Amino acid sequence: MDQILFQWNGNTVHARPGDTVASALYRAGVRTFTYSYQHGRPRGLFCLTGSCPNCMVTIDGVPNMRSCTVPARSGLSVLSQNLNVHRGLDVPAAKRFPPAPPLAESEHHYEHTYLHFDVVVVGGGPSGLKAVLESVSESPGMRVALLEKELALSGPEELAHQVHAHPQIEVFLSCSCFGVYEGNLLGAVQAGYGRPNAENLLHLRARRIIWATGAYETQYLFANNDLPGVMLSTAVSRMIHRHGLVPGRRAVLVGELERCAALVTDLEAAGVHIVASVGVDSVVSARGSEHVTALVTKDGTHRVDLVVICGPLLPDLGLIRSAGKQAIAVVGAAAGEGITSRRYPLPPSAQARDAIACLCMDVSGHDVTQAVESGITHVELIKRVTKLGKSTCQGRMCQTAAIHLCSRITGETVAEVGATVSRPPAPPVTLGVLAGMRHHPVRRTPMHDQHDRLGATWMDMGDWKRPRYYVSPPQDCIEQEYRAVRERAGIIDVSTLGKIEVKGPDAGRLLDLVFTHKFSTLPVGRTRYSVLCDELGTIVDDGTISRMEEQRYFVTTTTTNVDFVHQWLEWWAAAAGWSVTITNLTAGLASMNLAGPHSREVLQKLTNCDLSTTAFPYMDWRHALVADVPATMMRIGFVGEMGWEIVVPAEYGSYLWEQLLRAGSGVDIRPFGVEAQRVLRLEKKHIIVGVDTDALSNPYEAGMGWVAKLDKPDFIGRAALTRLKRNPLERLLVGFELEGNAIPADGSPVLVDGRPVGWATSVRYSWEKQKGIGMAWVTPSEATQGTRITLRCDSIDYPADVVEGVFYDPAGDRLKM
Amino acid sequence: MSFLLKCPNCGERSVYEFRFGGELRRRPQPEAHFEDFLQYALYKRNIAGAQWEWWCHRGGCGEWFKAHRNTLTNEVLETLLPQDEAQSG
Repeated sequence: MDQILFQWNGNTVHARPGDTVASALYRAGVRTFTYSYQHGRPRGLFCLTGSCPNCMVTIDGVPNMRSCTVPARSGLSVLSQNLNVHRGLDVPAAKRFPPAPPLAESEHHYEHTYLHFDVVVVGGGPSGLKAVLESVSESPGMRVALLEKELALSGPEELAHQVHAHPQIEVFLSCSCFGVYEGNLLGAVQAGYGRPNAENLLHLRARRIIWATGAYETQYLFANNDLPGVMLSTAVSRMIHRHGLVPGRRAVLVGELERCAALVTDLEAAGVHIVASVGVDSVVSARGSEHVTALVTKDGTHRVDLVVICGPLLPDLGLIRSAGKQAIAVVGAAAGEGITSRRYPLPPSAQARDAIACLCMDVSGHDVTQAVESGITHVELIKRVTKLGKSTCQGRMCQTAAIHLCSRITGETVAEVGATVSRPPAPPVTLGVLAGMRHHPVRRTPMHDQHDRLGATWMDMGDWKRPRYYVSPPQDCIEQEYRAVRERAGIIDVSTLGKIEVKGPDAGRLLDLVFTHKFSTLPVGRTRYSVLCDELGTIVDDGTISRMEEQRYFVTTTTTNVDFVHQWLEWWAAAAGWSVTITNLTAGLASMNLAGPHSREVLQKLTNCDLSTTAFPYMDWRHALVADVPATMMRIGFVGEMGWEIVVPAEYGSYLWEQLLRAGSGVDIRPFGVEAQRVLRLEKKHIIVGVDTDALSNPYEAGMGWVAKLDKPDFIGRAALTRLKRNPLERLLVGFELEGNAIPADGSPVLVDGRPVGWATSVRYSWEKQKGIGMAWVTPSEATQGTRITLRCDSIDYPADVVEGVFYDPAGDRLKM
Repeated sequence: MSFLLKCPNCGERSVYEFRFGGELRRRPQPEAHFEDFLQYALYKRNIAGAQWEWWCHRGGCGEWFKAHRNTLTNEVLETLLPQDEAQSG
């Protein structure tokens, strides 16, 4: 037999096969498992069914694990919780648990699975098994799932065999249903999925749900009812039958004795001496400091080390109450079957400070009494005031006690006091399993491998990877990339930009409606920059629109906004009922921007297309073969130099990239990354939507009023922009030059005379100006040439002067060379 | 929010596959007053009960369609392609 060894608060504990962490610890003599959250009271095994919080420990860094539900295995590190609270130290709640290990070091594995069934049965006891078999017999096509939170089905063996063998039934063991949601959606966590430290979150859709969760036993309220050694009869029974443990030496039984007749025999067979059996009414208190030593009753004191609570059984319906109007059938004990007693006697000490009603949050009978006496007489309000029932067990252990206590004080009936609603997730689930697998989709451009070979340092842009800069050569690489574009030629991969085709009789009309410019009159062969506003005149996105044919346009968007723009276009087309086909071509195309004073001679080597300005002016596009690849070339200039954006089918992207670099070797062409591009465009004061603009920016305050063609009869945002143009501006996006070479961070606040007037959106060192430049939002009184402003970053002030014009080539001559 | 929504093209799917587009409203005529556009853009009726809404099957066919949904119960009474006319409400 393999030895199972794990660590308990630094000591080694031996476990047997079949042990849970809880049973192994109990066998090893551990009685105090942990300390309560609020007052640090010692807590030990209490229910052994995963229904209470008393055995919650931290296992392998995951706090609040119910140790009675975790199978013991070698190598676990188990720690008790709230020891500092027990010692009287005031520990902030956030510091109660060990810090989570870094994600990369976590050995936990989480998955999500989406499943659909005709019927899902929750609970693998006798009535659950019966319900599953009845469901599949309805028709041969029925697919039924059975969720059981324990390691094995617990109904009659014959039925369990049938269920396991049935081809239409899928059984999920160690699988706790934690919530029932609208649309008959069940959330369940499958522990030990594939490997011991893995969890699987099941999203189960069912036409019908059958609730067969049975009943659970709850506690009685008396002084020190939470002492280790006081436990529910379910726990005692499981100790004996499942784990072969001897729960104690001398026991006293409290409560519904007639229900627990079999337990008396079991205890005696296990060698436990039953000292007495007492009614709840006669209990005064349990006594002991770390463990129970006696039960004091009206008739005398019983010296015992085990108090067995034969508590009332309650149908396990918590999650159904919060589920709303779903198709749920309740069967078996969950429907009240076989539950005979509804009595809940309260002994006199039920209102004591040491009578713990809510084991999770340490709410005592005294706390409940105070709340009720101050006029709070509905249990939902008691829950809100005292925190009773708000924590991990969601009222299982406390709700009945609170309801009966309230009823006794007020004289109202139990029905009038009401019941609380358990809320999912119950039982608790780890954040890890909700988050799921630790991976993120990554999109790579067709030229990705080339960038890698060229020494790219990567940055994330949405799901995309883009070269930030190329570290080879390592020194001053951004400056070298910048200089290549300004002085010779540079090439940047812009495949990540959104590319959308808009085609059909109403294509021009649609673009007229959603963009601020007019496109129905744009000649075929021309390209135009435009912005997209919402109905309030806020800039939502920008891009270029080229007219490819009479009824076909090619639209580019920002990298992360393509899905939004695509849906936006579809939406307006749908609302208007126009005939237009919109296709997102982004993944099918590669695009690269070749720019710089020598870009024409580089490109001309690869194409017969006449690239001269007379034949191919700025803001024109042409179809042509480039290095024998069918390409669309658009003469546009985000970086402020003569340049072409070359769009080819994705398959040819890496080939053409190589060809362009080769053709440019004579002029020492360089690939450039996003960082150099950001400096180049900042010198031209070309905005980046979402960087220089925010969720409220309109074209007028962004200094781009020219984009709003108000003479167009209609477009989205026209009414608002007409009004905004008339109204005085509240703020303006301006350029500024810093005094020194030090560069404060993007987002730094802007001050004038120590008073905040705005913030800087982009700040970079400009090799053109030989100093820091940037753009900032300021109030209109500061938006004039030469106004002295101060950027503040990390308590350092950076003086700067507002600059009205563009930093580089204000006339745009270099674009049109 | 985990109800099922019937896409007119794809059938009943989890609401997580869809994007909500707000109340179905008539955009003011181009010559309408600015206040009408403000009303249209900002002031929703926010009905507690059945209302017509825009939904987009983002995770599926991409269609924008109209759904008649009870905002109190999330019961979807009817879904229609944009060009189709409602039988009810």
